[in-house]
Amino acid sequence: MSSHREAPEISKDPVADSTDVYAFVSPDKPDTVTLIANYVPLQEPAGGPNFYEFGDDVLYEIHVDNNGDAVADISYQFRFQTKLTTPSSFLYNTGPISSLSDPNWNSKQFYSVTQVDRSGTHVLASDLACPPCNVGVLSTPDYEAKLGQPAVHSLGNDMQVFAGQRAEEFYVDLGSIFDLGNLRPIQELNAFAKAAGLAAMPGVNATNGLNVHSIAIQVPISALTISGHPTIGVWTTASRQRARVFDGAENIFSGPWTQVSRLGNPLINEVIIPLGEKDHWNRSQPVHDKQFATYYAHPELAALLPVLYPFLAPGKPVFPDLAALVAAGTARADLEAILLTGIPSGLIPGFTNFTGAVQADMLRLNTTIPPTSTSAKNYSILGLIAGDPGGFPNGRRVADDVVTIELRAVAGVVYNLIDPKYVPDAAIADVSDFLPVGSATITNGPLAAFPYLGVPYDGYDQKF
Amino acid sequence: MPSQDATRASAELAAAPTEPGRLSRRSMLRGAAAAGAAGLAVTAIGSAASPALAATSQPLAQDSPQSHAGPIVVHVRDAKSGDIEVFSGTSEVRLRDTDLAARIARAAG
Repeated sequence: MSSHREAPEISKDPVADSTDVYAFVSPDKPDTVTLIANYVPLQEPAGGPNFYEFGDDVLYEIHVDNNGDAVADISYQFRFQTKLTTPSSFLYNTGPISSLSDPNWNSKQFYSVTQVDRSGTHVLASDLACPPCNVGVLSTPDYEAKLGQPAVHSLGNDMQVFAGQRAEEFYVDLGSIFDLGNLRPIQELNAFAKAAGLAAMPGVNATNGLNVHSIAIQVPISALTISGHPTIGVWTTASRQRARVFDGAENIFSGPWTQVSRLGNPLINEVIIPLGEKDHWNRSQPVHDKQFATYYAHPELAALLPVLYPFLAPGKPVFPDLAALVAAGTARADLEAILLTGIPSGLIPGFTNFTGAVQADMLRLNTTIPPTSTSAKNYSILGLIAGDPGGFPNGRRVADDVVTIELRAVAGVVYNLIDPKYVPDAAIADVSDFLPVGSATITNGPLAAFPYLGVPYDGYDQKF
Repeated sequence: MPSQDATRASAELAAAPTEPGRLSRRSMLRGAAAAGAAGLAVTAIGSAASPALAATSQPLAQDSPQSHAGPIVVHVRDAKSGDIEVFSGTSEVRLRDTDLAARIARAAG
């Protein structure tokens, strides 16, 4: 998963567990950037009677660094409050929910949006309504028109915000990848799968049919960037107060906020940071990521790929060049650039999202690069490695296939940017959990407009 | 009904010479009555109302006891050195008070 249940501690605290961050120039409003942070992973839609919600006791933030020092210059803070319409009822809703203020909806959630920047702390809005969870056809009929879209709120100044349940758009063959690194489409090459007699087969999107809770905010580019610095760094954090006392019916929360989760680039804490450091990474700030740089420069996964996928045929390795790179102990400057500093100018003609020498895990978006139309010749869910500068690692769009991109990057597909003599292994073209790329099944796909993530799956039509 | 430990703790803490008011263990954990802690010599360090920008933090050291509307939670990090954290609202005060730490430690049994 991109960052679902990725570390021991946060896997036990779902409401504070960030799952994905997206940052992209809005395709339908290219003078704005859309920032999305998802939380509460792997929601089975039939989640009653206490359906999923944000944590009232969690401080959610989306941070933007706009001068390259890896310290937040603008932070959007989101605080939630749950209010019961009918505390005496055990039900989430006592009849069909036809609007955000419907009295049939018992457990409503509201939130505030606060901007923290150099000039201070500014409450942008409060008491904004979240939509309900998509309970089912009887409880939440005509969900998107009556509940989803009305929960898109204007913040003025050409900004809008949404917070609530959405369809999970991140796709991955979770059940296979974490089963000894198996990629079903090429599993006949996996040492373990081959021994088990498994033949190549299509990947299975383990997240199809599941929901997340999403915080999305759309902001004019002019409000996020400063002169001479078109590239922004984006990450999200969740924080809890330091003390909690279980005291009868009412829990006591006290003390300053302390960070328990963070996420910038996808899959980093998932597969780059070792198990013993994951909780520490979640509590750390991007500006201090130099301490983790060795894991980016020498990723364990790069060493595992030639072991898990040894031979195309007897005597013919799958990843001979990657294996040689690993054996030589070569620091992966390509991965450090992509994930920790941004890509400097001169490596890819006409492209840079370099933010400076500070090594920091942030999702970097060059806001001067216009969105790539999905009908354009160079549009690709493989983003930059396929010649589409509008996609990851230049920010991240909802549809980008970040699993394949990062697998191929770790396998060395762009190492020749650093060493022009290096020839990436030909097998990289088949490294993916879904082949052909883009063939993952996603029943409720992304929307064309804000908040972009699809309509949440309803509990009645659950897949199981 | 308070346990014997709680009663003993209350008695010990109530006898604290540096505190202007009565201080029970329960009130140390929650409630404005624990405002006695504010009367101690304290040093406010690095309290942060927001992880985003520490500049928004407000140290508690100058607060009056009446300003604490909510619970106060005390964390004795190290009784031997008197290292104590006092949480209130979204702020934190760090104390170095071996006497208070010792009294709380005794109250803890």
